Amino acid sequence: MLSRIANSLFWMGRYLERAQHTARFVKVHYYSSLDAPLMLKKEFVLESILSMTGLSIEYKKGHTELVDVDVSKYVAIDESNPFSIKNCISNARENARGAKGLLSSELWEAINKFYHYVNNFSEKDLENQGVANFTENTVEYCSIVNGYIDNTLLHNDTWALIHLGMHIERAGQITRIISSKVKDLAKIEKQKLGVALETYQCITLLKSAEAFDMSRIHYKCVPNFKNTMEFLILNKEFPRSICYNINEINKSLARLGFAKSADKDSLEFFVGKTAAAINYLTIEEIESSIGEFLKETLDQIYFIGTNTEHNYLSY
Amino acid sequence: MSELNSLEKNSVFDSYQVGEHIYDEVFGSVGKSRKHYQKVLNHFGKYSVKDFQKLNESAKVSFFNQGVTFAVYSDNMKGVERIFPFDLFPRIIAFKEWEKLEKGVIQRNIAINLFLHDLYHDKKILKDKVVPAELIFSSAHYNRDMIGIKPPGGIYTHIAGTDLIKHKDGEYYILEDNVRCPSGVSYVLSNREAMKRTLSNLFLSYNVMPVDDYPEQLLEAIQSVAPENVDNPTCVVLSPGMYNSAYYEHTFLAQGMGIPLVEGRDLFVDKNFVYMKTIYGPQRVDVIYRRVDDDFIDPMVFKPESVLGIPGIMTAYRDGNITLLNAPGTGVSDDKAVYSYVPAIIKYYLGEEAILNNVHTYRCEIASDYKYVMENMENLVVKPVDESGGYGIFIGRNSTKKLQEEFKQAITANRRKYIAQPIMSLSTHATFIDEGECFEPRHIDLRTYCLMGKNKQFVLKGGLSRVALKKGSLIVNSSQGGGSKDTWVLEE
Repeated sequence: MLSRIANSLFWMGRYLERAQHTARFVKVHYYSSLDAPLMLKKEFVLESILSMTGLSIEYKKGHTELVDVDVSKYVAIDESNPFSIKNCISNARENARGAKGLLSSELWEAINKFYHYVNNFSEKDLENQGVANFTENTVEYCSIVNGYIDNTLLHNDTWALIHLGMHIERAGQITRIISSKVKDLAKIEKQKLGVALETYQCITLLKSAEAFDMSRIHYKCVPNFKNTMEFLILNKEFPRSICYNINEINKSLARLGFAKSADKDSLEFFVGKTAAAINYLTIEEIESSIGEFLKETLDQIYFIGTNTEHNYLSY
Repeated sequence: MSELNSLEKNSVFDSYQVGEHIYDEVFGSVGKSRKHYQKVLNHFGKYSVKDFQKLNESAKVSFFNQGVTFAVYSDNMKGVERIFPFDLFPRIIAFKEWEKLEKGVIQRNIAINLFLHDLYHDKKILKDKVVPAELIFSSAHYNRDMIGIKPPGGIYTHIAGTDLIKHKDGEYYILEDNVRCPSGVSYVLSNREAMKRTLSNLFLSYNVMPVDDYPEQLLEAIQSVAPENVDNPTCVVLSPGMYNSAYYEHTFLAQGMGIPLVEGRDLFVDKNFVYMKTIYGPQRVDVIYRRVDDDFIDPMVFKPESVLGIPGIMTAYRDGNITLLNAPGTGVSDDKAVYSYVPAIIKYYLGEEAILNNVHTYRCEIASDYKYVMENMENLVVKPVDESGGYGIFIGRNSTKKLQEEFKQAITANRRKYIAQPIMSLSTHATFIDEGECFEPRHIDLRTYCLMGKNKQFVLKGGLSRVALKKGSLIVNSSQGGGSKDTWVLEE
């Protein structure tokens, strides 16, 4: 496979996943803010959205106030924001277009339809229909596209490259989501807002990863900070936990077989080590310093992302 | 007669009027349809205007979702995507008519290949003064780097797009030969796909020849001309990239053939062999179906500023380590001035009369032709031989006396530079017009696709019927409001 095409597949996966997580986070927070306990002001939610998407500083450059319409617009469809959902999907589609020869026409049509939906969604539509509608459709389109990726492609190097991009991005996004919620919870604690709010925030967090139902089934109790963290960071069977995704990155790289052997300096070796570490970690070991742990994990994920591209996909 | 009566009551064909001195493909004269169109007319007779608009809409959506679009770039960096307008009324060509057309196209392209080989080797045809040598050597497309090179199988024009029109006499005439990088074939296949989706019932009443074997046939032609001693050739399609207006077609063909689509930056030359950069290291390439123009293919030989090409590829080509389709330097044979010599070229190499008509061409350098042109300016189209893209063309119909005088002076000052042709009337075809909510006649032409490989000639059974959607217009180009139709060749 051409290195350039491999790069396109990798980024197609990353952009699709990024759009999906941004959309889901916005959607969940929007709905939860509708009937939030009084102390959770809208501003709090908006801050949280900007912090998760990493756009806080950029947003404040162009806006003086934190207004929900402006934040939605900025995150969802603003073309000047390189990481708006609109731009992510547009990039995903451009990358798919470059690699079209290796995709099934069903997959391509699904991505293309998705692009036209997002691209035609105007400011007016956003005002009339609300951001919830837009983000909900985005999440749904993503699921459709993911379905075509898994069910219409050969599970060969094409598929492995898309998956590699997706899991690197997903690991990163989940880490960011947890991170931003941990910060929110710290704020709550500081302001002594109580246990009810802690539960509330945990539920929002789990929903942001479509993890609420499964964590209930798993723990059979009301979410608390500890079991929520354990579920999203360390669960080996839940497809949106950090651990699960690092294992998938490891598998995708092994499948692609870029590195000839277990070379100690290879990226594969590093990923294997990272995976081994998180597979045998317990929540008790990190419970007290979750923030630190997440920061380190995010750095490792970024390292993997940058080096995958640099070592194997440059042209 | 009862069928004709039912047609007359049908509002979508009610106001259909065939123009004077024009051949209409569907209706001979008002109310009388040609035999092979009868079943379509009966079928369409069952639909209302609303039904048609619905069908039209669903065909459009199908193209849009498939991504069969071309981008129109405006001030906004992002291109606006448009679909190539598509008409639901198929153009139908009866078997007998097609048979002759196919034979004619193959004959023409065989002769053009022999001609090109001769031009880059012994130049017999020039020595025998059948074609004037100055005409060839002054052509911008005569490629001196090709002298002495013998491409595998002796094929230069592996893919040829021959454009034809039907004149008012009901005969086909060749409009031009496109033997550089002819495009549009993806529309032929997509049109057929859209037609099958929207009007599947109609196919049941005809025996339409398939077009979807084109990618297989193309791959076979490509593989047949691989360099000698290569058993299992690696073939690729070379595209200028995503922002080229024909990019959709490049991906379509690469995917259809199951071979990689590459860009110049994916390839490099090492020790006169060509390689592509893959995730598992360099891989040798043997055949390139390139959709990049001659001038851009090798920055070391042609345009140095080209970023689309591969430095050193012409040397690899000269050494026979890579095959390029089409061969460089084919443009010399689809020149406007050379066009008028094609019947003579066919006769010279094949000893046969041309099967398909050339539009009669007056060469102003010949005294009697010059005299005729001077006396009949208002009935002629005058073209400079060495320019392309429609520049410097004079159209006699409705021209002012002043303009006629200007051109007469220009011709007289440089008689060799001009040719003149009678104004040809393109045939018309019933076409659904949205605003009019009915079918109206519109001018059409036909592009055929001819493939040549080692011991192989193939003409796609169909082609691209382009439609000038503007009333009365003769311009069928997609950039200027042209559309297209599915083209059906019927089995005998």
